[in-house]
Amino acid sequence: MIRAKNMMTKEVIAISQNSSIMEAANLLLSKAVSNLIVVEKSAPIAVISERDVITGILLKKSKIKDVMSKNFKVINPNTSFNEISRLLRQKQITRFPVVQDNSLIGIITESDIVEATRDFTRFHQVVQDVILTVFGIATAFFLFYFSPLRVWIFG
Amino acid sequence: MARVSKIMLTDVPTLKKENRIEDAARLLTKTENGCLVIVENDVPIGILTELDIVRHIKSAKGSLKQPISSIMSSPITFMTPHTKLDEALKMIDTKRFRKYPVIENNRLVGLATKNDVVLAISDNMKFHRAIQNIVLILFVLFELFVFILYEPLKQYLGG
Repeated sequence: MIRAKNMMTKEVIAISQNSSIMEAANLLLSKAVSNLIVVEKSAPIAVISERDVITGILLKKSKIKDVMSKNFKVINPNTSFNEISRLLRQKQITRFPVVQDNSLIGIITESDIVEATRDFTRFHQVVQDVILTVFGIATAFFLFYFSPLRVWIFG
Repeated sequence: MARVSKIMLTDVPTLKKENRIEDAARLLTKTENGCLVIVENDVPIGILTELDIVRHIKSAKGSLKQPISSIMSSPITFMTPHTKLDEALKMIDTKRFRKYPVIENNRLVGLATKNDVVLAISDNMKFHRAIQNIVLILFVLFELFVFILYEPLKQYLGG
């Protein structure tokens, strides 16, 4: 079972709501991430994305608190992959800060979920192929064993 | 194997290269997919993402008056509606972009994203696995027959 702790991005970039939008832009670029988490006393209170930064510049805002978004959901490290996929598909939530004992330890975004789906599918497929091969060979052997072919060849 | 035409988004916002970055920024914040395509006489010539704009904001200190052509990515890496999904995935893994315009006869017909390609392939795999499971069950039943039922049945029929 895949859980949040196995799929999250551990490097999570936090920023304060009183920082400027320019600082957010610099952090997004220098850390090469698409989302920052706005924290207050180490608890996540909002998220800010590339799009929010653009909106802020268009509306001539200067502080993060003017453009940050509440569209996120805090999860814990043991939240299951299925639960996270469900939230993504049904509630359109794409950002999940991972919190353990009141401290922020990671973030899961849509691309983490997609990567996990990919790994999960690949792993599942390999296991299934192996099982199918083993049973296939056994079946082929018994079919041969009971067929007249065996008598013709080995007498 | 399904093709790109099945998973592409067809409603892709476009702009001309003379439009200003400000227009692009406004349009981008209204669109779902965070990316727009720049066309010249209906021929797609470039692509612009939110990241390009943020990069520009940082270097230009907030001025958005320049034409889009100064920051767009061009030429574009594209797919066609007939590209198979596994080929699309190979392309995504080598080029490492997230979004690809879909082009047919030099015209923009859609946009394929990495996420949609990967998720569609995973869904296909689910179908593939369902068939494998049925085959596996047949194999297992056959082997059960051989190990458990064959001897008693032979004695019953023979005796």
